[in-house]
Amino acid sequence: MKAHTRKILDKSFTGMGFMSVILLTLSLVIVLGPIFVRGIQAFLFFDTVEYRRMQLDLFDRGDPEEVKAELDEVWAERRFIYDTIAAFEEQVENEEIENSWEYPEKIDSLNDSLKALFGPRPDEPEPVLPRDRYGETRWDRAQQTFKLVMYKEQWDYSDPSAMGSKVLVPRIDSFRGTTVEQIFPYMEENLEKLMLPEFTFYWQFLTDKSHDIHFFGGIGAEVLGTFYLVIGTMLFAIPIGVIAAIYLAEFAKEGKIVSLLRTAISTLAGVPSIVFGLFGLAFFINTMEVSQSKSVLAGSLTLTLLVLPTIIRAAEEAILAVPKAYKEASLSLGASKLYTILKVILPAAMPGILTGIVISMGRAAGETAPIIFTAAVSVGQPLGLFETLNQPTMALPWNIYNLVTEHEAVDQIRHVQFGMVFTLVLLVVVLNFAAIVLRARISKKLRG
Amino acid sequence: MYRPGRMLRPVHSSATFLDGNGKVAVSQTTLNAGPTPGRSAKRSIYISEGTSRWRRFVSFSIEGFLFLVTSLSLIAVFFIILFIAIDAIPFFQLEGFTEFFTSIRWYPSGSPPEFGALAIIFGSGMVTFLAAMIAVPLALLSAVSLSDILPFSVRQFAKPVIEIIAAIPSVAYGFFALVVFAPILQTSGGHLLGILVWLFGAPLALIVSFVVGDMLADRIFGDNVTQVQRTAILLLLMGIFSVGLYFLYAPISAIKISSGTNALNVSIILGIMALPTIVSVSEDALQAVGRELREGSYALGATRAETITKVVIPAARSGIIAAIILGIMRAIGETMVVWMASGNASQIPSPWYNVLEPVRTLTATIAGDMGEADHVTGSSRYHVLFAMALFLLLISFFSNLISEWAVMRSKKKWGV
Repeated sequence: MKAHTRKILDKSFTGMGFMSVILLTLSLVIVLGPIFVRGIQAFLFFDTVEYRRMQLDLFDRGDPEEVKAELDEVWAERRFIYDTIAAFEEQVENEEIENSWEYPEKIDSLNDSLKALFGPRPDEPEPVLPRDRYGETRWDRAQQTFKLVMYKEQWDYSDPSAMGSKVLVPRIDSFRGTTVEQIFPYMEENLEKLMLPEFTFYWQFLTDKSHDIHFFGGIGAEVLGTFYLVIGTMLFAIPIGVIAAIYLAEFAKEGKIVSLLRTAISTLAGVPSIVFGLFGLAFFINTMEVSQSKSVLAGSLTLTLLVLPTIIRAAEEAILAVPKAYKEASLSLGASKLYTILKVILPAAMPGILTGIVISMGRAAGETAPIIFTAAVSVGQPLGLFETLNQPTMALPWNIYNLVTEHEAVDQIRHVQFGMVFTLVLLVVVLNFAAIVLRARISKKLRG
Repeated sequence: MYRPGRMLRPVHSSATFLDGNGKVAVSQTTLNAGPTPGRSAKRSIYISEGTSRWRRFVSFSIEGFLFLVTSLSLIAVFFIILFIAIDAIPFFQLEGFTEFFTSIRWYPSGSPPEFGALAIIFGSGMVTFLAAMIAVPLALLSAVSLSDILPFSVRQFAKPVIEIIAAIPSVAYGFFALVVFAPILQTSGGHLLGILVWLFGAPLALIVSFVVGDMLADRIFGDNVTQVQRTAILLLLMGIFSVGLYFLYAPISAIKISSGTNALNVSIILGIMALPTIVSVSEDALQAVGRELREGSYALGATRAETITKVVIPAARSGIIAAIILGIMRAIGETMVVWMASGNASQIPSPWYNVLEPVRTLTATIAGDMGEADHVTGSSRYHVLFAMALFLLLISFFSNLISEWAVMRSKKKWGV
């Protein structure tokens, strides 16, 4: 091969290397981008007057006088719509217009769509379920629901070879030539006056408990459950992990038993997470009976096994990285081995050990499969501290799964789902950044 | 901090701080520190027999305690295998091996129930294989560039990226696959695939046309080839390739994907998830190949690409194999992504290589069916899930041993 060709091959190889790293970064951006952009909207969004009414009713937040004034204002505007429809209904009932038989159905459908947007009228009896008590609480949702007021969704099966397709038929067409016709342009022009959108920062999303299975409110119970699980896991995993690392780094003499231990640790790291879940069910719950059924305790014990290898490896590496001189100086001063380890080596290795701990906290927070059978439930109350011993909990990862796949109105609570994923991912990313920063500081220190 | 009181306490309490003659023993301690013959050889440090024994006992029991705590992980591995096996064996006793491994009919709640897991095992294998096809080339190239090609500043930036990819919880990937990726795939999947073909095909075609063009120019015009002739051939080849890619785009973008939750979706996400493992482990292996080899190769006149492909990668082969095995393990063992986005249809796609059809994997079956099987503890339906877990566990156990062995071998070879 000629030198010229070899040079080109070399260049293209370098180019491919660069491209692969760019692709790597791109995949991260593509995955995190939507989660971050739409997740933030669970916290920062335009609310409507219905939202303020809901917050006042369910969470006792906001000024009652102000909300009442706003409600009066919007209902003054909305009154026109309902009055027009009521007048038209009367006409239909008295058969004052032609083809009056075809209108009741259309009016019902229109009324339903209005109810979804504005909520029930003040003079109606209050519905039982909170989800029916309020109209659209978010401006972005309100605009979508408004589309369903303006247009009726229909399925078009005219092409027998393809699947049915959705078409939007303007509702105004079915009320041509009647008095109701005028409410559609009226609503289109005055939608903001009808809903009063206002920018809001709902940081309580993190701490509020949810109402009516996440139709309203926040993710407080899930955050608390995840917090319990992480703390519980760390209570078991840190002592065991650090002690094991001390043994492996300072005491163990390389031999058959130690290499068996090391193989066990790496095997533990390779066990699929769902197998941990089954083991937790079969061992901690069915055999050891640490609790009657699922509990935070059983979940923490299961997660401990999962994060143990991470902590052991990080701590062992950190201990081995402590300069020999520290240890020798301490021993030469007459300190015992244990004293040296506790007072000299561990403090020096602490940043490295912390790195491992922080990373495994992120893992414990995000793992779903091990807690499915051991700790997580879909619906429940926030737990008290001692209830964690024998009660299952809600947790961010499990409830993300649950809300996305099993909730009855998946599309209506997208913002809650994205908010939850955003919270979890942000938590893990922040923990990992902390670890990265810690590590950078260590390597700076080691370099002098 | 130096705290003499605590550090020297054993010496004080042993009451032998003064020696037999009543002299202060400080200077003698140093004398006796070495292995002096006779009586003091036994107690080279100046403490009584009893204290010395006590101390030895304490240090022995501390070490024993530390060993016990450390061996918890060994006990855990043993118990995991034991308890999964205890609940898995009843299934094989009740139903035998044949149906599980040969039938594709999975109706655990039917009467009589059918436990054919072949389609599920096939699904697991299919998504794992595809994920590996996506992850391995990308990860190896990244590892090579991280260890040999990229400037230091870019490396500093790329490492955290890889760590974050590894750290994102699997349920977040699953959420992305189901809520963001699947709808895109379903509504405009064909175009997306077409764009992907361009994204990967165009640079590859560019490189190939540069290289082949160069060689062709030499072949056709001999030694005194001019720049114009080279460029002409290059442009010709690039033209041919882009026309080819253009015509490839049309049939691919016409593909209709009926369901966004399918094997392809899951494989792409699993591929991304397996990337960090492969990158970081194989980068370690590449780094472990010493500078001597690289410099020797450069000294012989090899280019960087030749050095990497012909010297560094062969030298780091076993470490790279270990990395690939670990990455594949990550993909096989992953639960949430496949449970959420694979479609969970227990079928072998038709034809069997059709990646656009939903599949079902072992992990997703365990996670999904346990909820229904839980309260019928003791039935085949409960035990079959443990049988699947045992199958997964054995796979992971043996791949782990293989990768461990591979890493050991590379360590021994390069003495790191």
